[in-house]
Amino acid sequence: MLLEKKLIENLLDAGLSRGADFAEVFVESKNSSALQSLSGRLEKVNSNKSFGVGIRLAKKFQVVYGYTNNNNPEDLLKLADDLSKSFNDEVLTKRTPLMELEVGDLHKVEIKPTDVTLEEKVALIKKAYKATDEYDEAISQVMIHLLDSSQDVLIANSEGRFVTENRTRVRIYINAVAMNKEGIMQTGGNGPGSGKGYEYFFNDIDVAEQGREAARIAVTMLNAEECPSGVMPVVIHNAFGGVIFHEACGHPLEATAVAKDSSVFCGKMGKKVASDVVTAIDDGTIENAWGSANYDDEGYPQQRRVLIKDGILKSYMIDKINGRRMKSEPTGSSRRESYKYAPTSRMSNTYIDNGKSKFEEIIAATKYGLFARKLGGGSVNPGNGDFNFAVMEGYMIRDGKIAEPVRGASIVGNGGNILNKIDMVADNLDCGRGMCGSVSGSIPADVGQPTLRVIDVTVGGKRGA
Amino acid sequence: MIDTKKLFAVAKAKGIQDIQVYFSNTTNLSVQIFEGDVDKYEIADSSSLTVKGIFNGKMGVYRTEVLEDSLIDEIVDTIISSAKVIDSLEDGIIYEGDKEYKELDDIYNEELTNLDVAKKIETLKELDTKFHAFDEKVKNVETSYTETTNSVLLENSKGLKLFNKANASYIVAEVIVNDGEDQRVGFDVQITNDFKDYKIDEMVQEIATDALNSLGAKPVDSGNYEIVFTGLALATLFSAFQGLFSGRSVQKGISLLKGKLGTAVGSSLINVVDDPFMKKSASSRSFDDEGVATKFKYLIEKGVLKTYLHNLVSAKVDGIESTGNGFGGGISSVNMKIESGVTPKEEMIQSCKKGLLITNVQGAHAGANPVSGDFSLQAAGYQINDGKIGAPVALITVAGNFIQMLKDVVLVGSESKMTYYGITAPYIKVKSMPVSGN
Repeated sequence: MLLEKKLIENLLDAGLSRGADFAEVFVESKNSSALQSLSGRLEKVNSNKSFGVGIRLAKKFQVVYGYTNNNNPEDLLKLADDLSKSFNDEVLTKRTPLMELEVGDLHKVEIKPTDVTLEEKVALIKKAYKATDEYDEAISQVMIHLLDSSQDVLIANSEGRFVTENRTRVRIYINAVAMNKEGIMQTGGNGPGSGKGYEYFFNDIDVAEQGREAARIAVTMLNAEECPSGVMPVVIHNAFGGVIFHEACGHPLEATAVAKDSSVFCGKMGKKVASDVVTAIDDGTIENAWGSANYDDEGYPQQRRVLIKDGILKSYMIDKINGRRMKSEPTGSSRRESYKYAPTSRMSNTYIDNGKSKFEEIIAATKYGLFARKLGGGSVNPGNGDFNFAVMEGYMIRDGKIAEPVRGASIVGNGGNILNKIDMVADNLDCGRGMCGSVSGSIPADVGQPTLRVIDVTVGGKRGA
Repeated sequence: MIDTKKLFAVAKAKGIQDIQVYFSNTTNLSVQIFEGDVDKYEIADSSSLTVKGIFNGKMGVYRTEVLEDSLIDEIVDTIISSAKVIDSLEDGIIYEGDKEYKELDDIYNEELTNLDVAKKIETLKELDTKFHAFDEKVKNVETSYTETTNSVLLENSKGLKLFNKANASYIVAEVIVNDGEDQRVGFDVQITNDFKDYKIDEMVQEIATDALNSLGAKPVDSGNYEIVFTGLALATLFSAFQGLFSGRSVQKGISLLKGKLGTAVGSSLINVVDDPFMKKSASSRSFDDEGVATKFKYLIEKGVLKTYLHNLVSAKVDGIESTGNGFGGGISSVNMKIESGVTPKEEMIQSCKKGLLITNVQGAHAGANPVSGDFSLQAAGYQINDGKIGAPVALITVAGNFIQMLKDVVLVGSESKMTYYGITAPYIKVKSMPVSGN
């Protein structure tokens, strides 16, 4: 047990002592390790042990939060008491006795990070390095990070909720640099990861193949021309291409934006917000997926949320406190990076669902445009929905065929209208790993989609229109 | 707290040659006001201990937030097993210390910590009221105050013992304006460790005016434009390319600045310094995380690249002394500052025939390639037509190469802004850059 049950009850009581109507204790213990290599040589091995307690109190919409990594009972009680002083009343809400909730572990881990020796981890890195380096003689540098973490959480609140779970995650990030004779450098990255243990690396994927993929992108981009700029059709490939939906539409569908009336999707429930071919889902229950968990960080079971069905807005992603402003029930969407953050509504594994077109059909139907095979990160302004993201691997489409590779492209648009501009969706849904940053910190989140076409978007590049 | 004497003794007994502990304690206060009421209030106190140990020449690192003596064996054993698998060409270094460390007397301001929270909340409420009073199109206001105090204690087996305490605060204001047809966001941050410095009226004026003026912003036609960047926009761009100055990146062959020492990497108007002693910056430090005394230095002087930034290991590889930039296990600047020039911003704008004033660039973490120096970033601002500010602009991208852009700088502004990127930057004018819009 991360903290004695009796102490947790006392903390909740102290929290409610001056009129708060809700109290919550979040306890976290996390072990993580990060190995870093450069050109096949292991440069750094960092081990990290974190522990902390976050106490959250609320009265209607007002939230107070405190955290510490001191586990001394008197200090924790003092923190709860200090926080309760934000409310100057007597006890108004009675605590419900804690009842442990058990949904069963949907995300089983076979090989825990602690079951793997450092030597085995190093062997994975060396294998990935060798394949990346040998892919092409233009590869001048290879950086590899191997990361694993095991987070134990305990979440208890004044409404009687009490859950515990372990969340294990592993990831390898391979970054290849290719350089030509003129000294021009281009990079290619690939970062597969999972909500599994090391069985992911030993059984599910081949790190050598993953390395070759990073190298392939770097070499392709080295031989690419600058991307032309202008407004054109863009075919966005599957998997990490879903970052467009994540940034442009997922964030504005979070209660963080909706509750304060600052989202382009406010007041649109049940209305058409996308073209008919678009169905979008946020699903935190996918077995062992990167953004999955048994519970959200308020202790509610994770759910599968259909956000948009055939173009109609069906659901927002809602946490408890924003749910109060919106007069809606939470959707199991509350997440946080660590005890250092109060939780709020966030995405988990978010994707556009399969459509009926074929990949080849979409390319063939496009006379001129950009094929964004791999996207980088991006950002969105939740106030007006403007977004941008980088194209890590792009090609021109000419006369219905994929033509020359182009580099330096970025895509700029608006989340409020891009969904209406999607006219073809393929049937090849896949997901990619991301780290999503927002008010409650940086959290693992999957993005995904099948290949789809946006009829016109602004493409930024260095070559003129 | 872990008994460091005991830790050092166990480490020595198990064969660790040198060991260093870095203890950090941070306390936080944060208040957020939404529509006139406190809607978030946060207090925090957290500590961590980072232990670095050298075994067979290689360095293992263990960071813990559990500060109990029972962990000593695990720390030492993990450091040893980590060091055993490291096969980097360079050995780890624990530093014996410098003769002198500069006294920094203005980075901790006790008055700030002691000032009543009620006063801080009152200031935010005043800000909120003034925003709403400014214009009826101001629809939604969120303001917050954050205050951080950080104490650091560094101690190693070579006898070095250093202490630092700093505090800082910042106010963030975000407003949404809506005229029934378009909705825009205004946002800014003021940073200081002296509460008296906050300029509430100025903040309201600048944020609200910019947000209101940007209503109805549209893309411009694609093409080449003369570009004026505000200090904030320039700092955002610089933040994406800070890594280029790392001596380690140069050695790895992943910095554009490799082989460029002593050569021109920018227009002669460009001066970039790293000033670890900057007043009222919470980042200011007299020593880095490796215990090396920090130094004021020019990175770029009159356009010429003067030095890279180094930590102990990268400096040793180059056969020079560390520049005191070993932070967080890597290399970074303390307070990067692009020095201001002589041209008032009005004059810069007047000098443009067909230009754009870029007030905001976004997506610097994604649309900028720190290895190649290429960038293509979403930008917003205003048109400049024949020397006059024109219609608001949004949803465009400005593309270029970082070094080429520095070379194409034709004017440097006389005012500069300390930004939340830890970078201080003036307005600059770039001769011409490709813009993608309609």
